[in-house]
Amino acid sequence: MKPLNLIAILLFMSGAVWALTRSERSVREIQRGYFGAIGPFLKSGSQTEAYARSFLDEVQHSKVLEAEIATVNREIGRLHIVESRYRELERENTQLRHALDFKKTSSFNVAAAQVIRRQPTTWWQTVEIDVGEERNICSQLAVLSNEGLVGIIDRPAKDRSSVILLTDEACQVSAKVEDSPEVGILSGQRGQFEGAPLLRLKFLSKNAALHSGQRVFTTGRGGIFQANILLGTIVSVEKGAEDSEALVRPAVNFADLGTVFVVLSKEPLKK
Amino acid sequence: MTRYTLITVLLVLASFVVQQFLPALTALHHSRVLLVQLVFLCAAVTVGQPTMLLLAFVCGFLWDAQCSIGAHGGDPEIYSQPVESLRFGYSILLFGAMGFLMQGIQPLFKQGKWYFSALLSGIAILLYLAAEYLIITFVRGNFIFTKATALQMAYTALLTMLFSPLVFWILFRIASWCRHSINPEAAKKRRRHF
Repeated sequence: MKPLNLIAILLFMSGAVWALTRSERSVREIQRGYFGAIGPFLKSGSQTEAYARSFLDEVQHSKVLEAEIATVNREIGRLHIVESRYRELERENTQLRHALDFKKTSSFNVAAAQVIRRQPTTWWQTVEIDVGEERNICSQLAVLSNEGLVGIIDRPAKDRSSVILLTDEACQVSAKVEDSPEVGILSGQRGQFEGAPLLRLKFLSKNAALHSGQRVFTTGRGGIFQANILLGTIVSVEKGAEDSEALVRPAVNFADLGTVFVVLSKEPLKK
Repeated sequence: MTRYTLITVLLVLASFVVQQFLPALTALHHSRVLLVQLVFLCAAVTVGQPTMLLLAFVCGFLWDAQCSIGAHGGDPEIYSQPVESLRFGYSILLFGAMGFLMQGIQPLFKQGKWYFSALLSGIAILLYLAAEYLIITFVRGNFIFTKATALQMAYTALLTMLFSPLVFWILFRIASWCRHSINPEAAKKRRRHF
């Protein structure tokens, strides 16, 4: 082997070892630098993409009308979430009206965002949205649509953020089943790329009395997601030797994500 | 030579930007053109080993910077079995391995038989995806290999491979512009022929 090649291999291996031993924080710094560098290209590319899309739509709508529709749609979505939240609070209030220590006043402040694009990764299911640190977005904030939970903020940048979708195996949510004492951990499944992906609700009790059609909500435990956000509906239950698992159809149509909402103000979360 | 190397590095960097706007094809099992990997593989066969390793490091490092996702977080009492993330930097080794694979048939490329390299780029992409999937499985456990996953890998490799002649054409143009021969034996033959 030529000495130059040997030196190159040694340098390459040292570089690889250096990269592999970076801490989570350093990786985030590297990612921040990387996205900062390609940010202008992404921004202009996204703008061109959006412009091309709106140009195609312009056959039927004027630009002004389109902007108005987009604003109204955002507002409707936001109000849907606020309304469902108020209904939940109303129900909670009715249930607890005799409880003297009930003093909680929750706020549910959300920021509307548009899904810009799906990220070019093969195995991870992530999307990018058009709000970032400028709008007080930070990591591990829940992202909703008016149908239910979409995912969690992974990497916020200045004016955009990356969201890990609920269908990704890495996105775990503490979940409960309606009309049942069952709680478990809901996550996506590996290798599901076709059709409507199903989620897996794990760690249910061995004899969980569940049936298809029951809805699954967040428990609010675990310090990330607020309680009572709709996750999906049970499709089937698989009983195991030690515990049971349920397949859940997500409430959100992940193939058609447009406007989403990032929950900014966290109500007190149960630990 | 130096100019060609520099332009190759710039081409790889440009492919990272373009990759951001290449969507997955839902009709073809969510397959996509892996432009970064393709540009690297095609470039790897046209350069020497040190340059190939430099490109592998740049590609792997930036690919992981682009794709790595953070830890889930949350209360460890509730999320007691978090899904493991892959370590930042693993792609550097994968790119390196693919680069060595491509350099294995460099003698054929130097003779002007670039189509063997084009075919091998498809195989290398397939191996890259398979290796990546196996690493994920090894780290997270629970081997799941569905037909959809296999088809996604196969179509991605095939689709990416179809673009390799275009990338080779660009590399040949760059080499000729830099007055650098990337297949010297074929060039000698041509000269003898004329």
